[in-house]
Amino acid sequence: MKKILALLLVLTMSIAVFTACGGSSSDTETSDGGDQYGEGYVFKHGFDLDYPPYSYRDDNGEVGGFDVEMAKAVCEYYGWEYESVPFNWDAKDAELNAGSCDCIWSGFTLNGREDDYLWSKPYSDNTQKIMVKKDSGIKSLADLEGKKVGVQTATSAYDLLQNDNEEEGGQAALANKFESLEVYETYTIAFNDLKAGAIDAIAIDVTSGNFLMSNEDGYTFLDEDLGSEVYAIGFRKDDTELCEKINAALDALAEDGTVEKIAANYPEIKDYITLGK
Amino acid sequence: MTFSTMLSTMADGMLKTGAIFFLTLIGSLPLGMIVALLRKSRFTLVRGIISVYISIMRGTPLMLQLLVWYFGPYYLFGMNIGNWRFPALIVGFVLNYAAYFAEIYRGGIESIPVGQYEAAEVLGYTKTQTFMRIILPQVMKIIMPSITNEVITLVKDTSLAFTLAYQEVFSLAKQISASQTSFMPFVIAGVFYFVANYVVEIAMNRIEKSMDYYK
Amino acid sequence: MIIEMNNIEKHFEGLEVLKDISFGVDSGEVVSIIGPSGSGKSTLLRCATFLEKIDGGEIIYMGQKAAHTDEQGNAVYVPHHEMGKFRGYCGLVFQQFNLFPHYSILKNITDAPIHVQGRSRDEAEATAMELLGKMGIADKADAYPYQLSGGQQQRVAIARALAMKPEILFFDEPTSALDPELTGEVLKVIRQLAEEKMTMVVVTHEMPFAKAVSNRVLFMDGGVIVEQGDPREVFENPKEERTRQFLRVFEQ
Repeated sequence: MKKILALLLVLTMSIAVFTACGGSSSDTETSDGGDQYGEGYVFKHGFDLDYPPYSYRDDNGEVGGFDVEMAKAVCEYYGWEYESVPFNWDAKDAELNAGSCDCIWSGFTLNGREDDYLWSKPYSDNTQKIMVKKDSGIKSLADLEGKKVGVQTATSAYDLLQNDNEEEGGQAALANKFESLEVYETYTIAFNDLKAGAIDAIAIDVTSGNFLMSNEDGYTFLDEDLGSEVYAIGFRKDDTELCEKINAALDALAEDGTVEKIAANYPEIKDYITLGK
Repeated sequence: MTFSTMLSTMADGMLKTGAIFFLTLIGSLPLGMIVALLRKSRFTLVRGIISVYISIMRGTPLMLQLLVWYFGPYYLFGMNIGNWRFPALIVGFVLNYAAYFAEIYRGGIESIPVGQYEAAEVLGYTKTQTFMRIILPQVMKIIMPSITNEVITLVKDTSLAFTLAYQEVFSLAKQISASQTSFMPFVIAGVFYFVANYVVEIAMNRIEKSMDYYK
Repeated sequence: MIIEMNNIEKHFEGLEVLKDISFGVDSGEVVSIIGPSGSGKSTLLRCATFLEKIDGGEIIYMGQKAAHTDEQGNAVYVPHHEMGKFRGYCGLVFQQFNLFPHYSILKNITDAPIHVQGRSRDEAEATAMELLGKMGIADKADAYPYQLSGGQQQRVAIARALAMKPEILFFDEPTSALDPELTGEVLKVIRQLAEEKMTMVVVTHEMPFAKAVSNRVLFMDGGVIVEQGDPREVFENPKEERTRQFLRVFEQ
């Protein structure tokens, strides 16, 4: 019965969709002549607006962030038109596959996903850390035994704590010693719980953590790292040409100082940007 | 970010929330009536399709339906869904709410005594006249409290548009909260939803009162 | 003849409710139909006013056939667009009044003349006020049905039916839903209409009324007309045993 229902769901919806958007179906594929990525190409930058300072709402309420500025710089470099495609992080793969965006460029961790996408060169180092209150008495990863630890869903810190493959740096064994692993929709909420004492620590990447701590005293990272990772841009596996173009542009922008200039706007991450280093 | 920047950024999201709200009502209130009437169709097949449609709409999360509407065209037909985000959102909301409204209408229509239809028939009213002049006005009065409930739910449900990253007030609250490490955007969003629903309540009360002239 | 119903057959799910019934009503005649419940009286009225479809026989209004039986034995009605004319010949007053609760008394009476018959609002309202005056409730024109007593509501229902200027008016137990003290005011109105030579068929349990007002009485039982004739004869000297039995119950 359920199968029939599911089938009918897909059928009815697809019929409706078919009639609703029949008009826009013609331009699915642009002609793949030699100059597909020539001047005027509309580059669709897919990103999550919940990920400061890589992609977020800046102090003026505008869409901004290091990744957004970089993507715009690449567009300028090639004479492309920049189109921002904010998406819901949980739906990033569907968005990429469906072609609503050209890439996932949003503080996107390469480690552990090596085979899932076509990757640009890494542009930022990002270490996974444990954030605690300075006076918590927690000094090392071992002290986390029996503690409540918070993490944001669908982040690499979360993946790390779920991964039981120690060769890949998986930290599931550590997570098993926690009293509990609390999974949050956003780090902001997790941070509030840390402040309120509902949890004892947060597993987080260093840049997001720095960002959270930038306005608050009394918090610190443990010296021990939870894991390390790099950020890169994820493309659909067959988009080699686009990937190469972006790589070339990143090199060029690193060379002419643009990267450094943009990074200067984001003091909490500028030390981690690896382009041109 | 200053408080006023935060407010003005979120005001943009409030307009978008308003757009979802009004377009959903404009689409689903009449569509729900059509669905309710089709549900009483002479044709078994039509009745069957409608009842499956209603059970799916009511039996699956709206969030999931929104995802299906948005990504469905690509996964099923390989279509380009570039400009489809907002339309998909509205289609999803309208079809979902139409199902709920249809059930409310059906309940209302079924509660009208058969004598009303017979009196109209004997007086020579056509089927359309009977429905529009005699039945529908009475149905409206009966169902208004249930409609009010749904409309209030809709105000809150608009926040599900974050699933498709439509920049309505709740998505913006999440984003600004992340970038400002502040809870204030959620407070603003909360106040906004509360005030919006307060206005809805007052408006619906007025409508209900305007129908109070008979019992 | 205003209406002729010949060899009417009607069944509900295999149950024969009307068995080969024939009867007609002349202009100005008042016919009472009496009989136990389930005898088919109401069904006959509902067939005459097209609320129910007959399964066999023919219905003729003003010499024009509204329904007949074809060679295969199926009842055939005139096409949809001609039905309006036939509906216009007859009016029906229900046991439960069935006024439209969301319309004022005046609008209850004028809405159909205006929107079904296409009369002008002025004319319809003048007619309605005249009828309300006749019913003794002219002061209720702006009231709503829920504000009226049952007897008043039934009088409005009669006015509503009369406003359509029907050739014949059917009453389906018009006083059965009323408290006993309210039946008088409704019966008085019907009596008054009889004096004005309005053609009427009244299904009723009010035997004294039937005796006093009608020109002819039909006694129905088991889907057939058992006996009919002059009221005095039927009531005082019934020919059939079933009629006698039925009337005896009422005399007690």
